[in-house]
Amino acid sequence: MKFTVNGKDYALVVESHERLLDVLRNRLGLKGTKEGCSTGDCGICGVLMDGKLVNSCLIFAIQARNKRVETIEGIGTAEKLHPVQRAFMEWNASQCGYCIPAMILAAKNLLDKNPNPTQDQIRRATSGILCRCTGYLKIFEAVQAAAEEMKG
Amino acid sequence: MVDDHAAVEKLARSRQLLVVGKSIQRLDSVDKVLGKPIYTMDIVPENALYLKVVRSSVPHALLKMVEVTEARKYPGVAAVVTAHDIPGINESTALLPDKPLFATGRVRFAGEPIAAIASYDPSVAEEAVDLVKVEYEPLPAVFSPVDAIKPEAPKIHKNGNIAKHMKLRKGNVEEGFKRANLIVERTYKSQFQEPVPLEPEAGFVVPEPDGSVTCVGSIQSPFHVQTGIAKILSLRPDQVRVIQAVTGGAFGPKSDEIPVDVLGMAALVAIKTRKPAALAYTREESMIGHTKRHPFVTTLKAGVDKNGKFTAWETTMLADTGAYASLGPLVVIRACFHATGPYVIPNVKTDAYCVYTNNTMAGSFRGFGGPQAHFAAESLVDEIAKKLGMDPVDFRLLNILRPGSLMATSQVVDEACGLEECISKSVKESDWYRKRKEFANITGTKRRGLGIAIIYHGNSLGPEGNDYAAVHMQIDRDGLVRFRTGLTEYGTGALSGLIQIAAETMHLSVGYFRLEAPDTDFCKDTGPTVASRTITIGGRATQMVAGTLNQKLLEVAAEMLDCAASEVESADAKYYQKSKTQRSVTYHELIEYAYKHRIQLKEAGTFTAPKCEYDPETSQGTTYLQYTYGAVTAEVEVDTETGKVQVERMVAAYDIGKAINPLSLIGQIEGGTVQGLGYAIMEDLVHKDGIVVNPNLADYYIPTSLDIPEIKTIIVEYPGPLGPYGAKAIGEPPIVLPAPAIVNAIDNALGVRLYEIPTLPDRVLAACKRAREAKK
Amino acid sequence: MYVPEDLPDLLHYLDTHQSGVHLIANGSDLISRIQRRQVNPKTLVDLSGLKEFTYVKKDGNAIRIGALTTISDLSDSPVIDLRHEVFREVAAKFGGPAIINVATVGGNICAASSSEDLLPVLLVLDAQVRVRSTNGERVMRLEDFLKGKRASDLKPNEILVETMFKALDEHSACTFEKIGMRNSLIIAFVNCAVCLKAESKTKLVEEIRIAFNRVGGKIPERARRTEEKLRGRVLSAEAVEGAVSALRSELKLSSDFRVSGDYRTDVACVLFRRALGRGTNTLLGENIFG
Repeated sequence: MKFTVNGKDYALVVESHERLLDVLRNRLGLKGTKEGCSTGDCGICGVLMDGKLVNSCLIFAIQARNKRVETIEGIGTAEKLHPVQRAFMEWNASQCGYCIPAMILAAKNLLDKNPNPTQDQIRRATSGILCRCTGYLKIFEAVQAAAEEMKG
Repeated sequence: MVDDHAAVEKLARSRQLLVVGKSIQRLDSVDKVLGKPIYTMDIVPENALYLKVVRSSVPHALLKMVEVTEARKYPGVAAVVTAHDIPGINESTALLPDKPLFATGRVRFAGEPIAAIASYDPSVAEEAVDLVKVEYEPLPAVFSPVDAIKPEAPKIHKNGNIAKHMKLRKGNVEEGFKRANLIVERTYKSQFQEPVPLEPEAGFVVPEPDGSVTCVGSIQSPFHVQTGIAKILSLRPDQVRVIQAVTGGAFGPKSDEIPVDVLGMAALVAIKTRKPAALAYTREESMIGHTKRHPFVTTLKAGVDKNGKFTAWETTMLADTGAYASLGPLVVIRACFHATGPYVIPNVKTDAYCVYTNNTMAGSFRGFGGPQAHFAAESLVDEIAKKLGMDPVDFRLLNILRPGSLMATSQVVDEACGLEECISKSVKESDWYRKRKEFANITGTKRRGLGIAIIYHGNSLGPEGNDYAAVHMQIDRDGLVRFRTGLTEYGTGALSGLIQIAAETMHLSVGYFRLEAPDTDFCKDTGPTVASRTITIGGRATQMVAGTLNQKLLEVAAEMLDCAASEVESADAKYYQKSKTQRSVTYHELIEYAYKHRIQLKEAGTFTAPKCEYDPETSQGTTYLQYTYGAVTAEVEVDTETGKVQVERMVAAYDIGKAINPLSLIGQIEGGTVQGLGYAIMEDLVHKDGIVVNPNLADYYIPTSLDIPEIKTIIVEYPGPLGPYGAKAIGEPPIVLPAPAIVNAIDNALGVRLYEIPTLPDRVLAACKRAREAKK
Repeated sequence: MYVPEDLPDLLHYLDTHQSGVHLIANGSDLISRIQRRQVNPKTLVDLSGLKEFTYVKKDGNAIRIGALTTISDLSDSPVIDLRHEVFREVAAKFGGPAIINVATVGGNICAASSSEDLLPVLLVLDAQVRVRSTNGERVMRLEDFLKGKRASDLKPNEILVETMFKALDEHSACTFEKIGMRNSLIIAFVNCAVCLKAESKTKLVEEIRIAFNRVGGKIPERARRTEEKLRGRVLSAEAVEGAVSALRSELKLSSDFRVSGDYRTDVACVLFRRALGRGTNTLLGENIFG
């Protein structure tokens, strides 16, 4: 199958039961996407597929064919952090960090579509991703701060 | 090395604090926001084998036979290991020698490890699990501590079902009850709370050519793991290197025997096959196999005199520790000490029992007995206030601990007691009196209530163990200060806090420092990272070592400036002689000079806290060296038709001594409060006849982003005697108070009290029905 | 894994491979069950490439939804106007963006489970389903299609292509209520959908359909005996209480580790009153409960 990950094209042969999560982590070596529960109940395997947030543990790899996938590795670099990443650091929104890739992708996706989100919209956009360390409040504040920065 | 704590702090405080007290970004955030491969399963070596564990399907049985031949022959299986493959001792324990790594002869809980299968393909290992034949002869089992404590109950361990009985005796409760005008006796129940670290347990072991092993894992206590693995493999501790990988949440289960389980099983495969071996628990396996919060059944009886003052308080606590004790005995000790809540009570009798059952294991989990103790105590206090016709805040203020008063342990409360200020600030911020008046007049199906609960939390291990921490610091030629400790970071931000303390002590910005991963090869034993001791004990070790290292720098500068070391001052990474500020040397010049002259810029040291002395029969004495205090209010809305409880707003005020990093501190408070909210209203790991019914995140509910109330944090600072700059522990206290505050708020809303948590909708609805019946 | 190129290709494949084949619109439900080792399917057929079944269209006075339409696409569709806001209510409570971006209408229907929130809504809209095979097409009522837990009437060589229902008119309102342990990622204790058609002046109930995630069995069903108590009656607080009494005896809800059957029954009655109350408010502009 052919698909694009973080702007790069790939052609792979995948097994029928292989999940998108497995392909990203094991075949492409993109370890940023995490596995938290294997049953789609925690959201931390979240990636963007054709601009939509999906749980990569619930998608067969073959179903990502011809699609455009974005993972945390494609969001920014140490030299050029995405505003969402910078805001997460400034607001101490990352504690153990395990939910952070999915949270950042969800936030980026929200802000790309809705540059002026309300508190409620921020909560809803992150509502399928569990966080056990922060209590979510600093994550909401980081997203709000990133929105401010991205507006100009 | 001399711990001149006072001198170090005096010097630091003599000028404006540079970094302590500032909300500086944590040092570990960059890798996390970039999604770098830093967690255990991200860095497993290419040619590793993957393990799957064969676990008991029954809660209590003799193991008649474990047949692995078919599994061994299955194509793709590289190894099968059982107890027979253990070169050393078949033990993986936390405190008591009661638990094997692999079960032999007997299983005591459904989920107990019996064998492990390894393959390059994890799905092959999984298929081979079904080929292992286990023959059980079921034994009678017991699933509640109330039943397990009876003489006729099946014995789970040879010495009976009581792993620990902790007592506290102060004064004479019989006399105290005689003087009471009002006596109230109640029983409270709390549930198994599952920690749910978002990263399930994981570890891998690499067999080294010289016969040693390197273990990498998601762990809280590298040295405990080192000792445990060495025992299993019959190696010396220095032949077992343990490195903590970045850990995705811990909360308790990763601090005791569970990482020894994980790495022990992997190590057996590694030495058998001479290949790296990795084991990652699935979420289900994690929820069944690791330790959780002890369910408690707590009976309280308290008496107050005609002035509303306590005369006596009697407690019996039964803690369900599951099949193996883990740190249950210590949990019960802490619960015993805190059983009365932070009040002045002249006569106290407490009996706390840690009881074996055939449920899955309970052990360390943030709060460590505090949540269970305070849920019961603060519920009773509230109920007594109501019976006396007093406002719950006023009744508490009448009885709380203040400097000079005696605790239940007869320890004298010192000046570092901010309890009253926490109460008054949270009461003010929550608009207590006005709102409660307003809520009393609400009619309709949705009712509102406001409740309060208060806490005292003894810092650090106290009587739970030897309280020490080691820190290593070394300055490279480029000026980078490498900081290493065996204390671990798993989200708390505490290690970044230690860097701030080091930076403050050396009067350099945090940018000069780098935190190295905990690695038993490179740091001395530091004890476990638990009991919120990182900032306190770790902080003192940091001050000590940084202070000595700084002194060295001052001496080098003195040599360069040709003056006495006592005349050297520093600012902005420049060192100069007092009153002769035109001549200075930069930090980098100083380092270069030291290297040229072969002056070692390296220090290591261990800080050991003074031992706590108390009578083990009566628990009278000094049980902890300092206390964190707090008060939390909760405003709830209860839907009386469905029983659903919505927490609208919480105010959390804590006396934390000194905030080293306020933003980090608030993060801990908010996170702990939400975990406590889950404990109060929705989290319940259900066992039915010893089998966990909901070992997954679809059926075990932790709060989502849509369940969070507004949380207002108030920081109060009464510096304590133990921690650096007077810092107190904050890792654990925030999880304790939401449950009693919410239960008290529900009582305020409905006029009916719940004696069991979580406050599940059907329990609340039943309570609403009772309230309606009562009104008729 | 078989990936059909188009519909005829798929139907031909299904004809020739009748057993051990699992159709997947997206993998969610199946992957979950594979992970829990509840199933080990031999062959998977991936339908996600069949784009022609992703649509929401108005067709005369009917609304037709392609089986591969995701819940989020359904919620975002302009065809779903204010009168059909109920679909947005379902989407909002379904479980977070990642879930609704991938869950499909067809997947929901064929899962035939009481945890599929869409089903009670489709039942009260009296929806039909269209299935196709090499033999042609069958159209049947959704409630006949749902045979039991995880059992639909789909034959091995068939696929579900569409569900359709008559669009609501100005005298009709459809509402949905759900309750679970928390506010997101919830499997409902109880959910309830009500579709009401009433004349605003007379308050006469021309038609009422009520469905829950469970009534007497293990799948979403209509509470027909309760409907009888209101159909043709004038809406009033008394009439509703009569219906609630009937509902109490019609519901046979069991207990599980989460909550008791009695609790579910109590709450089902509460949700029914609320769903009906909101529908009544929309149509009559008043709260019949006073």
